[in-house]
Amino acid sequence: MHKDEIRRPIWDRIVAAADRYNDPGKFTAFIGYEYTSAPDRNNLHRVVMFRDGAEKAGKVLPLSAIESSNPEKLWDYLENYEQTTGGRALAIPHNGNLSNGKMFDDVTFAGTPLSIDYARRRQRWEPLYEVTQIKGDGETHPLLSTRDEFAEYYRWDRGNFGTELKTPDMLPREYARQALQRGLAYEAKLGVNPFKFGMIGSSDSHTSLAGTAEDNFFGKVAPMEPGGGDARYDESIIVPLEKMDGTRQFGYESLASGLVGVWARANTREEIFDAMMRREVFATTGSRMRLRMFASWSFTAADKDTPDLARTAYTKGVPMGSDLTGTGTAPAFLVEAMRDPDGANLDRIQIVKGWIDDTGKMQERVFDVVWSGNRKPGKGGTLPAVGSTVKGATYSNTIGAPVLSAFWRDPTHRTGERAFYYARVLEIPTPTWLAYDMVQIGQHALPKDARLVHQERGYGSPIWVGSQ
Amino acid sequence: MWDKLHGGLKEPLVHFLLAGLVLFLFFALRGETVDPESRRITISEPQVERLVAGFAQTWQRPPTPAEIDGLIRDYVKEEVYYREGLRMGLDQDDLIIRRRIRSKMEFLASSEAENARPDDASLQAILDKNPQKYAADMRYSFDQIYVSTQDEAAGRARAGQILASLNADAPWEGLGDTIALPPSLESVDRTSIARDFGDEFAAALNGVKSGVWIGPVVSGFGFHLVRVRALQSSAKPRLADVRQQVENDWRATTIREREAKAYQAMLGSYTIKIAKP
Repeated sequence: MHKDEIRRPIWDRIVAAADRYNDPGKFTAFIGYEYTSAPDRNNLHRVVMFRDGAEKAGKVLPLSAIESSNPEKLWDYLENYEQTTGGRALAIPHNGNLSNGKMFDDVTFAGTPLSIDYARRRQRWEPLYEVTQIKGDGETHPLLSTRDEFAEYYRWDRGNFGTELKTPDMLPREYARQALQRGLAYEAKLGVNPFKFGMIGSSDSHTSLAGTAEDNFFGKVAPMEPGGGDARYDESIIVPLEKMDGTRQFGYESLASGLVGVWARANTREEIFDAMMRREVFATTGSRMRLRMFASWSFTAADKDTPDLARTAYTKGVPMGSDLTGTGTAPAFLVEAMRDPDGANLDRIQIVKGWIDDTGKMQERVFDVVWSGNRKPGKGGTLPAVGSTVKGATYSNTIGAPVLSAFWRDPTHRTGERAFYYARVLEIPTPTWLAYDMVQIGQHALPKDARLVHQERGYGSPIWVGSQ
Repeated sequence: MWDKLHGGLKEPLVHFLLAGLVLFLFFALRGETVDPESRRITISEPQVERLVAGFAQTWQRPPTPAEIDGLIRDYVKEEVYYREGLRMGLDQDDLIIRRRIRSKMEFLASSEAENARPDDASLQAILDKNPQKYAADMRYSFDQIYVSTQDEAAGRARAGQILASLNADAPWEGLGDTIALPPSLESVDRTSIARDFGDEFAAALNGVKSGVWIGPVVSGFGFHLVRVRALQSSAKPRLADVRQQVENDWRATTIREREAKAYQAMLGSYTIKIAKP
């Protein structure tokens, strides 16, 4: 199937279709494809996206993983594309959780230690990471973030694509939060951070349906459509090869969706692509919530209440995805989240900080910065849970808040510290697609560990402090 | 040793080779004569040019002489295997080949429509048949004051007070609570309003009198006092403004129709008998 006489007409049709349906200002259709690399069944998939139309993107053919499963070759390809056509392109890796430690590895594809050149190229061509999607959420792992009470969330951590079981040593090289931490350590060592990415979500559905959510989930693939019987739940998404049954992941264990939020000035290919390059993006697990964060050395508490927060924030600070350069007493943040206007209220906004301490050790801490209602943090600073209104497939917005915003200054900052900060917003508990299925399709036997209630979440891109 | 042999027998490659051997013996023993012409492979200059062009298209540079020789060697290998495979009947009952040929046939039936440029008259006819489909959404220009409903009763009371003061022609900017939504919106369509404020809010603007403050209007975030300043109703769309959209629909329909017609024509010459269990 990688023969050019097959690829060329198919690619031409894809490119033409994207151009025909791209309607600047109204509906943006990008030209792109998946580079489906999975050496030894360790997932290294990348989505390639072009900023351009057929006149440039039509001049090349997709690079297939059959030609090379080495992602560094994909960077060569992207570089070559830009040089020969004058166009622009980027790549977005996904499902590090199924890479068995290869997604953010300590060595290159060829097995050599990471170099400054590798770091530069990775940061240049892969400004984003898909942190959440149907095949699991890859923000962090309970074994890595032992004090993060929300760390357990759709962790697909049994192995790769069915040939090798997961071992705990692989986890730091698969999850986003630890990759960001290790990126700081690499930056200290090499001078350039190889793992400096913004965070997006996507569905990875194979049904051609955009905008899927928990209450209208049509399955990851056609055989899992509603009405298809138990296959919807029992079908394996990770199909183990012989004797590797421990790696199996079932359909009922999946999320329903994943979305990208982009802070762009216009709904066009150019503006959205450029915002993605500057990492001014956020991920959600499918809810259409909005999240943004800014950092500055000089924000004050009063800045939060200015009528046009974004104007103030851009003037005095930098948006998520950026470096906060310069120095000051402590970095201050303005963070704001709005719920999905047709969805559920918000529980809280947290800021996740990762840094390198004086002894060179990687540290992380999750701060609750603003929450709904009159809850008071208890012993050890733990905020009481927001509660739950979920009954079967219904919930009510009688708890939580539709909008949350906060000014927050890092009380633990040490001068010259190398750190990153990203916002995480949690919705109030809502039913999962399995709970909606019970009502919409009918009762079915589900395993005990099936999740019927969850808290959808959004992840903002980090802001880096103390990078040189 | 037995274990190894036993394991080896499970390998698909071993099955393939065994099957190949059986077929080879079958044809060899049958002693079928082979047309010598079918064992001649001639690579013409245009064919080499095509190989070179294909390479250049993928790699954005011409191949080196050694790479050209490699392309030709690979082409010959493919041709030999392809012909021998056909002789062995490997194309029979192969699911992938069947699907590929089917999709080629479907593509043939409709490929002309892929790049055809329909004339204005046929597009205008589609537009005239279904003008609402292509009409732009109703567009609104409006001002809004947000009142948080963290405490709903208090919010309602406050919204009422603000509304009373507005009716007295007082300045409105800065009233209410702050929210990351613009206080004044210019000529936005219903879809964008629903995206920013929620479906309920967008629906509430239906039939609202312009120039008057109304409320509280409920959004996903709380209460709003709203004044619609201007309304642009959806005029009959002109082809020049919606041409691409109409053309996309024309193309999708035409491809579907041509493929269906081509299939029906072929199907007509077949007799189909079905025995259901």
